[in-house]
Amino acid sequence: MSGVVAITGLRTFLGRRLAERLAEGGHARVVGIDHVRPRRLPPNVDCHIVDLTAPDAGATLAEVLHKESVTTLVHLAFRQEPSADVEADHELDAIGSMHALFAAAASGVERVVIESSTRCYGPRPDNPNFLSEAHPLRGHRHDHRVRDRIEVERLLAQWHERHADIGVTVLRPCWMLGPEADHPIARYLARPVVPMLMGYDPLIQLVHEEDVLGVFEQAALMPHPGTFNIVAPGVVPLSLLIRSAGKRTLSVPHRFLHRLRDFPSQTQTGDEPSGFYDYLRYLWVADGEAGWTEFGRPTYDTRETWASFVGARRLRSMS
Amino acid sequence: MSQPPESPDLMDSAIEALTDRIRERVAPELDMDEVFELFEQLRKTAGAIGVRERTGEIDEFGMDREYIREVAPVLDLLRTRWWRIGVQGADAIPREGPVLFVANRSGMLPWDGLMVADEVARQRDGDRPRFLIADWLITLPWVQPAMARMGGVRACRENAERLLRTGRSVVAFPEGAKGATKVYRERYQVQRFGRGGVVRLAAELGVPLVPVAVVGAEETNPILFKVERAVRPFGLPFVPVTPTFPWLGPLGMLPLPTRWSLSFGDPIDPADFGVDAAADEIAVSRLNEEIRQDIQRRVRMLLEERLNPFA
Repeated sequence: MSGVVAITGLRTFLGRRLAERLAEGGHARVVGIDHVRPRRLPPNVDCHIVDLTAPDAGATLAEVLHKESVTTLVHLAFRQEPSADVEADHELDAIGSMHALFAAAASGVERVVIESSTRCYGPRPDNPNFLSEAHPLRGHRHDHRVRDRIEVERLLAQWHERHADIGVTVLRPCWMLGPEADHPIARYLARPVVPMLMGYDPLIQLVHEEDVLGVFEQAALMPHPGTFNIVAPGVVPLSLLIRSAGKRTLSVPHRFLHRLRDFPSQTQTGDEPSGFYDYLRYLWVADGEAGWTEFGRPTYDTRETWASFVGARRLRSMS
Repeated sequence: MSQPPESPDLMDSAIEALTDRIRERVAPELDMDEVFELFEQLRKTAGAIGVRERTGEIDEFGMDREYIREVAPVLDLLRTRWWRIGVQGADAIPREGPVLFVANRSGMLPWDGLMVADEVARQRDGDRPRFLIADWLITLPWVQPAMARMGGVRACRENAERLLRTGRSVVAFPEGAKGATKVYRERYQVQRFGRGGVVRLAAELGVPLVPVAVVGAEETNPILFKVERAVRPFGLPFVPVTPTFPWLGPLGMLPLPTRWSLSFGDPIDPADFGVDAAADEIAVSRLNEEIRQDIQRRVRMLLEERLNPFA
């Protein structure tokens, strides 16, 4: 037993699967935290109800962490589905993370592992082909959730200056796919006809969910201080990715994109459509070398990740 | 690119065959491990149908060898018939290892980068260098994916360093936008070479520099003058006016059939000039300026040799 791991956001995909893996591995006791009790609690996982958007969330969470003598806090409580409620998203993603960090410091946690994203670098024509962890997080001004996540990283850096004795691991996965993937990007890429921007075809980088889980598991059990891009090796142009799955692409001039119903855009996130489709326009590929050195090379590369995602979807649609 | 038609029959029969195999093995002695293994196999087979094994041809910078093979006849036509490119000093190009080519930039679109890279690829048995392109080209639809597939990479230190470190050669244009957007009356005046980043990079990585002079690209889309103030409200820095653009619309972007010459200089090892990784700024900028003047000299020589841009 190497201590007690607390996971906020137990009901998120990463939270649930990480709790299962850690409990199964038996190297640490697992405490799950969410604002609603999950319908099916993984075996050997204790669950506490804490609403991170509540004004006194910091104190409540600190109490739980202290009572359970938690050594590592894995913070994954971020909004999973698109919502147009900018205020509520900010309360959970940015302010909720602040509460979690304050609670961690108050309760004597040894290490904090926090989920970020390579989306924080932002899609820009002036990005280098491979973004290193040191590259500034420029995000996208029309994606409020990326804005919130950048604020979390900034907050974390300030907080870490005051609490230098607490080890901090920031993990930035890119678009995560796999057999279980069910999020806006997965649904977008799973369409039979995938809208693309006319005249643009950026290189896309993916990462497999099992590889991400493996990295989070390592970070939860052993100290791996630092910031790491969590990406799979290899890049594939978007059009080739889509066609290789036997799907069709639909080229849309970017001025008309927001008219497409059901496109992950303004109707679902309240943001300008460019907040999503610029990620299909310019490069935002991250350099995974540091992460691979620290945690080992992923089992799936970008192509295999895609095949695993497409294959699982096909089987599901057949059954 | 033609697509193979999707064959649902193939998929159905593959799944049927696998299902039969599962039944065969499951019925006698329900070994769950074997069932899982077969399920995994089924999953992989279903996933692989229709997935064309073509992605391996595309490298991490997006260069697509199959696409280059497809457009090779067009590139050859441009080289031999359209621009009738003459080459000097090709023997001096190092045949192995990464090389940093430094050339003068001219013309709006990166035709010069494409043709220098193509010439080097022919000299080095298909070892195609990447040519660096300006940021604003990456914002252009159709230009961006086409350039990436043919080996164009955004000009920045990170990219050049990664390419050279992984053993790939690079064609750099240190003049940058100043070279690409100069008006016709400033033609063939090689502009300031950035801030010496090219020399410093070569010195740090121990990569030879090869100066290249390009003559002819300047007249492909000669900019007569730039409209600056009238287009500011539209967020554009300027709109170039050439003999054909914007009068002929997108057709006016087509390059004119000028005669081109490329002149490759001898490789320069920065260490020979006392410039190494620890060199000071003065030494770097001195060598930088020397290379610029060398290219300017070659450009003048090539210009004296030709009668007129189209002859």
